[in-house]
Amino acid sequence: MPKGVLVDVSRCIGCRSCQVACKSWNDLPATPTVFSNNWDNPPSLNATNWTRVGYHLIEKGDQLKWRFVKTQCMHCEEPACESACFTHSFVKTESGAVIYKPTELNQDYCVGCRYCMIACPFSVPKFEWDKAFPFVRKCKFCYDRIKEGVEPACVSACLTGCLKFGEKEELLAEAHQRIDSNPNYIKRVYGEKEYGGTSWMYISDVPFEDLGFKTNVSEKSIPSYSWDILKWTPGIFVGWGAILTALYTYNKRRAEVHHEEEMYAPVQDEE
Amino acid sequence: MTNHFEDYVNSDYFLIIGANPAEAHPMAMRHIGKAKAKGAKIIVVDPRFTKTAAHADIYVPLRPGTDIPFLYGLINYAIQNDLYQHEYVLNYTNASYLISPDYSFADGVFSGLEEKDGKLSYNNKSWSYQTDGEDIQKDPTLQDPQCVWQIMKKHVSRYDIKTVSNVTGTPEDTLKKAYALYCKSGKPEVSGNLIYVLGITQHSYGSQNTRATCMVQLLLGNVGLPGGGLNPQRGQSNVQGACDMGMLWNNVTGYLKVPDATKHATYEEYLKAETPKTGYWSNTPKFMTSTLKAWYGEKATKENGFCYDWLPKTEGKSHSHMDSYAGLEEGEIKGVFCWAENPSVAGPDAYHEVKALEKAEWMVCVDVFENETAAFWKRPGANPADIKTEVFLLPAAHIYEKEGTRTNSSRDVQWRWKSVEPPGQAKSDLWIADRLFKAIRKEYASGGRFTDPIMNLTWNYDKPGQDEPDLEKIAIELNGFKVEDGTVLGTFADLKDDGSTACGVWIYAGYYYIDPKETDPLLKVPATKRHGTEDKTGLAIYPKWTFAWPLNRRIVYNRCSSNPAGQPWNPKRPYIFWDGAKWVTPDVPDFGAKDAKTKEPNPPEKTAQAPFIMTADGQAHFFVPSGLISTSQMKEGPMPEHYEPVESPVKNPISKQQSNPVAKKWKGEFSKLAEVGSKDFPYVATTVHYIEHYQTGVRTRNSPYLVELMPEQFATISPSLAKQLGIKPGDDIIVSSARAEINCKANVLPIVRPLVVNGSPVEIVSLPWSWGFMGLSKGAIGNELTPFVACPNVTVPEYKAFLVNIRKA
Amino acid sequence: MNYKIWRFGKWQFRLTTTRYVLMALVAIMVVAAIFRFVLGLGAVTNLSDEWPWGLWIGFDLLCGIALAGGGFSTALIVHVLHKEKYAPIARAALVTSLLGYIIALVSLLFDIGRWHNCWRPFFYWGYHSVLFEVFWCIALYTLVQVLEFGDIFFERVKSRPLKVFLEKAMPFLLILGIILPTLHQSSLGSLFVVAVDKLNPLWWSMIIPFFFVWSAFFLGPAMVTFEGSLAARAYGRQPETEVYQSLVKVSMWMMIVYLIVKIIDLNYRGVFSLAFNGSFESNMFLLEMIGGIIVPIIMYAIPSIRKSQQGVAVASFLVVAGVVFNRANVNFTGMAKAVGGSYFPGIWEWAITLGFWSFLVLAYCFIAENFGILPKEEHAVSHAAGAQKSIAG
Repeated sequence: MPKGVLVDVSRCIGCRSCQVACKSWNDLPATPTVFSNNWDNPPSLNATNWTRVGYHLIEKGDQLKWRFVKTQCMHCEEPACESACFTHSFVKTESGAVIYKPTELNQDYCVGCRYCMIACPFSVPKFEWDKAFPFVRKCKFCYDRIKEGVEPACVSACLTGCLKFGEKEELLAEAHQRIDSNPNYIKRVYGEKEYGGTSWMYISDVPFEDLGFKTNVSEKSIPSYSWDILKWTPGIFVGWGAILTALYTYNKRRAEVHHEEEMYAPVQDEE
Repeated sequence: MTNHFEDYVNSDYFLIIGANPAEAHPMAMRHIGKAKAKGAKIIVVDPRFTKTAAHADIYVPLRPGTDIPFLYGLINYAIQNDLYQHEYVLNYTNASYLISPDYSFADGVFSGLEEKDGKLSYNNKSWSYQTDGEDIQKDPTLQDPQCVWQIMKKHVSRYDIKTVSNVTGTPEDTLKKAYALYCKSGKPEVSGNLIYVLGITQHSYGSQNTRATCMVQLLLGNVGLPGGGLNPQRGQSNVQGACDMGMLWNNVTGYLKVPDATKHATYEEYLKAETPKTGYWSNTPKFMTSTLKAWYGEKATKENGFCYDWLPKTEGKSHSHMDSYAGLEEGEIKGVFCWAENPSVAGPDAYHEVKALEKAEWMVCVDVFENETAAFWKRPGANPADIKTEVFLLPAAHIYEKEGTRTNSSRDVQWRWKSVEPPGQAKSDLWIADRLFKAIRKEYASGGRFTDPIMNLTWNYDKPGQDEPDLEKIAIELNGFKVEDGTVLGTFADLKDDGSTACGVWIYAGYYYIDPKETDPLLKVPATKRHGTEDKTGLAIYPKWTFAWPLNRRIVYNRCSSNPAGQPWNPKRPYIFWDGAKWVTPDVPDFGAKDAKTKEPNPPEKTAQAPFIMTADGQAHFFVPSGLISTSQMKEGPMPEHYEPVESPVKNPISKQQSNPVAKKWKGEFSKLAEVGSKDFPYVATTVHYIEHYQTGVRTRNSPYLVELMPEQFATISPSLAKQLGIKPGDDIIVSSARAEINCKANVLPIVRPLVVNGSPVEIVSLPWSWGFMGLSKGAIGNELTPFVACPNVTVPEYKAFLVNIRKA
Repeated sequence: MNYKIWRFGKWQFRLTTTRYVLMALVAIMVVAAIFRFVLGLGAVTNLSDEWPWGLWIGFDLLCGIALAGGGFSTALIVHVLHKEKYAPIARAALVTSLLGYIIALVSLLFDIGRWHNCWRPFFYWGYHSVLFEVFWCIALYTLVQVLEFGDIFFERVKSRPLKVFLEKAMPFLLILGIILPTLHQSSLGSLFVVAVDKLNPLWWSMIIPFFFVWSAFFLGPAMVTFEGSLAARAYGRQPETEVYQSLVKVSMWMMIVYLIVKIIDLNYRGVFSLAFNGSFESNMFLLEMIGGIIVPIIMYAIPSIRKSQQGVAVASFLVVAGVVFNRANVNFTGMAKAVGGSYFPGIWEWAITLGFWSFLVLAYCFIAENFGILPKEEHAVSHAAGAQKSIAG
């Protein structure tokens, strides 16, 4: 059964245990950082930082709101990275995890073209820029732990129940139950429909647009966009080929063929 | 804490003041969050809009050091609007008790203030109860002007919302909203949980701050029942254990008083002075005798006063951390042991404390890393050649590299197993202590002055074939046993004053006891090692999860969870109550549920007489009377009163008495203070913590993952102050106080905002203090700025409110 | 002119000052290339997680391929539609195109992180990827172009059987050589369809593949004109102005269609007003549309400008610049807001790009000087004049 994680933004205290647990479990190195006025170092996701809690201090008049939002791979139901990869280096596993095969399954087909990075609507895949033979890195939903029946490292480190791991369908139902039973919640489960749905879902008591979420987004999956175009390829190939052949044959019969050899010559020196 | 972390889920209202659990006690937020999900309301009172405040229903900003006005405003509001819990106040507190007619209060000063040798102190005689022989006089109608209730009512009536707002800088309507919300917990069936930590305690009147929190909770009937209580979350994961073990200079183990040679020359005198006739402390002789038996074994006999003479005694002087550094400074102290402590970063006025260290002849540091104290001789600006102190650094094992117990704020004494071996030459603290004592004893074996206490101390912890001392032997000694056959005791009720029992820490009695009636083999282990997760009540009471002192009691003063007739205040949340024939006790009752002799149940009307068994009068105190043995008497008055911090930007708006008249201050190097309303140091600073760096940062600043999250020292200022000073986020700034100045990054966030006090805005600076010059992440030491003044009762330094200036570097 | 000539066997190559400079640039590129392959992309480029694609993709690949579009559009016009009057420029267009593709492929090899895996896509088919189509089409088309060039090559390097084989295969190659670029020119646009919420709606469209292939096509004649004018100047020959002015009319009509479709598309998606909101994106868009489309249309439409060598060359340059600008807008301007951060190519990135294009110029010159790709002058002029007459007739 596909798994999921429900993130209840209203319950996060910004302790960032998830961030450290992720690094710890995945053996990712710490990177040097400098002071951040927002306190939410490191400044962005990168090849050694697969999850990050962003701090959002929202000032509305005299009132302050402060929310802490964990970001990581959303593990799309129809992953853009998987469809964008022309060497099949990503795969959506049965558990719902979207994983990168070269590092996770030792199937090294990736050429490092980084189209996955362009394609991902959440800008999740990151590149090992400082390596001579770099890999693409990102959250793997701890598929190795899930396989053994253990929740992802970040979820197991979460103190407040902000992160909840479980069967995706059950979590979705719970998400709706929570937002329906408490008027403080925004009536939206982010990840239910966005880009065709994702394994990670968010609910919040603060509008998603204030928290750095892309809200005005397509409910169509990214792969379906490219498929809408790619599906015409064979038709164009055959149709265009037929037209060209017909034109060629027709025009050839009609026109005189010039002796092209007469027309061209190498440039000669002006001696 | 009176209650425990799991119990938070039962709370209907939270008043979190001077605490930021989201950063400092994140696991507590788990339980607060559970209650919130069930509909609990949260009020956070803090100078900063903290991560905890982010989860509050009402956030109350206040100026550092004005907690008493805030809390008194709440008490006054509850009384004026009749929102307090009448039956509770009348029966379980000393509200009806009459106070001596000699008591008075005027101009911010209580009766009895005297000057002696240029130092002010109180003669507290007039703060006593009116008595008729042995009987304390009461007025159950609460009408007598000398009754505690009327005195308190009058005392707090000066703290109306307008006055409070003028002192704290909190907008009036915010105060009103917060008071109205929290006073809802004054209804009998509702529980309010007051959480505080160092934001309350670290003031020159810190003890009175905590008193004010107690008064709020008593007034609203919130002590002793599920979801209520006073819950000071300890500042460190095992600080509760450290205090239990007698790490405070004025306590021996189990909060027994340290003998004072000027008062307790003999054991008889000690017992006489420290044993009240009523209340549970009347058992003091049993506890102290058993303690002495644990320490001196066979040598301790009734005839020799159980070797009381061998105990070290004070001579009427204070020996706190600050006094010790003053002693170093004055050349009185020659050597220093810094064991798992880093005063160069943690101490008040750390700048001068470190300078005082230079006067020590030797210093031994025991820590996981070379910390700033161990490296003080090579600190920036110091010339190692000039420092003669001989420094020894003993590498210690980290908590996960050794076995033993830790005691958390819930009083849970939890056993921890070793998970990895310590690296290199690092050894457990126990190993180091063991070898140290053996070395000392070896020295004394060849003679010396007063060798008996050393040569005869019980020290039999060797285990054949094992390098580490035998933990089990130590555990049983702490737990208590019968001297004749070594039977492990299950309760301190079995302790005797005749020398037939020995017990290292009386409050821990039973923690290493194996319940003979237990049938589950997994739970048939010493209580401290149990991991039973059964909760029969649905009230998050897990009696078989480890052991909570005292007696595995999870909520103390739990007689108060039901009314005087024994019926639960909240019928939907019955806890300990009288079912008509006996007491129903899902938790260990904190009162005589059964008659000690007949074993018959004691009826409610009898047990309602003394619900607070640790006080001599059996009642909780709005007014702390003098004349009761073993009841801590407050040095600056029987009730709290607002004083300004020693360093304050304003004159005390409440009274002529500017600051605590009996606050502790020192001379010489440690006397540097900014004057009231100082132009040189116009901003109020308060020290803070962040989740990434624990305490002095010794461990966390050496952890690459945490350094990555929080790499540099900074100070947070408001956007308005930043604008005024032309400072941009991330600029290098200099923060200075009358003691020193430090360099750090400017953090500009609206989480601090100027508060209007006495008509003019006061800017607030929040300063983390977890940095130092060692480790992976180096930064300035915040505590170099803090003042060397303290609360007179417990000598806690005034870290939370002092004056600074800021300029661009 | 004063220059030396290298001669080796039957080959020759002029050595001018400009060419020394170009050769120096190629040498610098080789050094930069060593750095890039030893130290990785991070060490030599300003690429980042926000800007995974930079100069080499945005310019060398996208523009290189687009500029090489002259090859397939002239192939279509000359060989399929048999507009024989344009035949004189067909070979030059083919050579430019081939070189453009080779540059694009090499720059791609530089750009991909795991270049040692570059052969893998032939065996592991991610057919649901637009890049799959791009990859295969470009790979095959480059092969086709090599074979097409073989026809020229074997004029000089005599190999009878191969020449015969190629002549036989030529019709098939020509048709394949139009289908494949049609597909991948459009697919290069389709690559950005996935960037649905990243690429500014002024550029993002479900018919972005149409815009790409269409612009690559109308770019062809303009590119041929522009490059032919340059070549003529370089070699002191008479430019084929007559051919150009006629050829660019194809571009003109196609650009008019492009403009109309663009306006309809923007309106249909309700984002037309975005073009005039004064934002950075809108200004860049207007610059692209006015400078690269509208102005050249007008210049082409006015006979006096079109028929003057200078006029047609300038207008064509604008078209070329417009398409380059468009690709840059798609890859950089349109994405900037969504991805954050900033990107400007680093010195080594420039060095490598400059090296590539210097190499292209040198290779073009070498081929021009050793193979028959430029028209024989007198013949061509009279032929063109004849063709003109026949149209008039």
